[in-house]
Amino acid sequence: MSDPVVRLADVTRVHGDGPQAVHALRGVSLEAAAGELVAVMGPSGSGKSTLLNVAGGLDAPTSGTVTVEGVPLAGLAAKELAALRRRHVGYVFQDLNLIPSLTAAENVMLPRELDGVRAGQARREALEILAEVGITEPGRFPDELSGGQRQRIAIARALVGERRLILADEPTGALDTPTGDEILGLLRARCDAGAAALLVTHEPRYAAWADRVVFLRDGEIADSTASALESAR
Amino acid sequence: MRILHAGCRDHTEYAYSVSMAIRQGLLVLLSRGPRYGYQLRTEFEASTGAIWPLNIGQVYTTLSRLERDGLVTAGEQDAQGRVVYTITEAGRAETERWLRTPVAQSDRPRDELVIKLAMAVAAGADVRPVIRAQRTATMRTLQELTRARRASEAEPAQRLVLDSLIFQSEAEQRWLDHCEAVLAASSRTQETPEAPPSPQQGDGTSPHEEF
Repeated sequence: MSDPVVRLADVTRVHGDGPQAVHALRGVSLEAAAGELVAVMGPSGSGKSTLLNVAGGLDAPTSGTVTVEGVPLAGLAAKELAALRRRHVGYVFQDLNLIPSLTAAENVMLPRELDGVRAGQARREALEILAEVGITEPGRFPDELSGGQRQRIAIARALVGERRLILADEPTGALDTPTGDEILGLLRARCDAGAAALLVTHEPRYAAWADRVVFLRDGEIADSTASALESAR
Repeated sequence: MRILHAGCRDHTEYAYSVSMAIRQGLLVLLSRGPRYGYQLRTEFEASTGAIWPLNIGQVYTTLSRLERDGLVTAGEQDAQGRVVYTITEAGRAETERWLRTPVAQSDRPRDELVIKLAMAVAAGADVRPVIRAQRTATMRTLQELTRARRASEAEPAQRLVLDSLIFQSEAEQRWLDHCEAVLAASSRTQETPEAPPSPQQGDGTSPHEEF
């Protein structure tokens, strides 16, 4: 596989300083190539969400480098960083933040319109990606749809445009098992079609859809299923 | 604690419950109509996703025991030397009884991992590396099962068998997380203020770190 879509090299993140300093990440190196789904697991407070925020440029590392689509984020001005995020990075959160007064299609169009794409084209793109994720009634409002359908819309919104990096934080949150499996099937399919995804989850069954599962513990990568098979005892 | 004296019975009990399941499974397949031995093997494997491969010897041994017990009858050999097996009335009754009866927890095999961790904790060993290695190994199994399940979408019986194994692996992962958390908590309460947890770096990670 070619260059990684996202690469974290020796990333640390310290909140606060002095004796109160909290080391959220301690020298984490991780990358995801196009086509790869990487799951990050770990107990609460292990640094999972910080890792995702740093990978997507929502938070800056204290040291180390983050590169998205070959561009080191550290060198970017705030405006450039915002543009890179909009163009290349899609977020899916547990609280999906769909706007209730907008239809499914309008929710998906929004990031493209913010990016200066004309309404007609934004709508075409939105309808196309919504069809791909299995939303057949794009004119409906979020409240009229099931939890699983709303999460599909959030994924469509994360993917619309040319964005190849998906950052998903507990995207299966309150969904039942079959619906959660469907959402993972969707993420998996998008990765198989060339996207890269980092998935934070505490659910082993969803992590198991990934090509690689990384276990985070106290801000460090404690283990990974990609490492050579070690003896179990 | 029952698991503590179960070690050496483990293997034979497991073999017994597996051979019972095969016997009853073949009988259920025969309740749909007469079958040749090799057909039973193919159908059994297809519906369980070849997770429990059967050798043909096992099939014929099981069939001859079912015949001895009056649950099936064997027909005449045909020109190719094949024999058709047919379920009897007693066989049908046995199948219905089996399907109706819940599986008892005590009929299931003992879990080596549970025994391993219990013994290690009792002996005062550091089980964190054991938990970590097992978690990674179980996750690899879970990844393989998930791949197999995606490939078996169209086969309902196979898919449900894989789902069962996925739920079991998932439960094991959760249990390992639970063990780790419980052991970390108990080692914290045993520490005196004069002896800070130096080998466990980051033990003081604050709970408000995740946002």
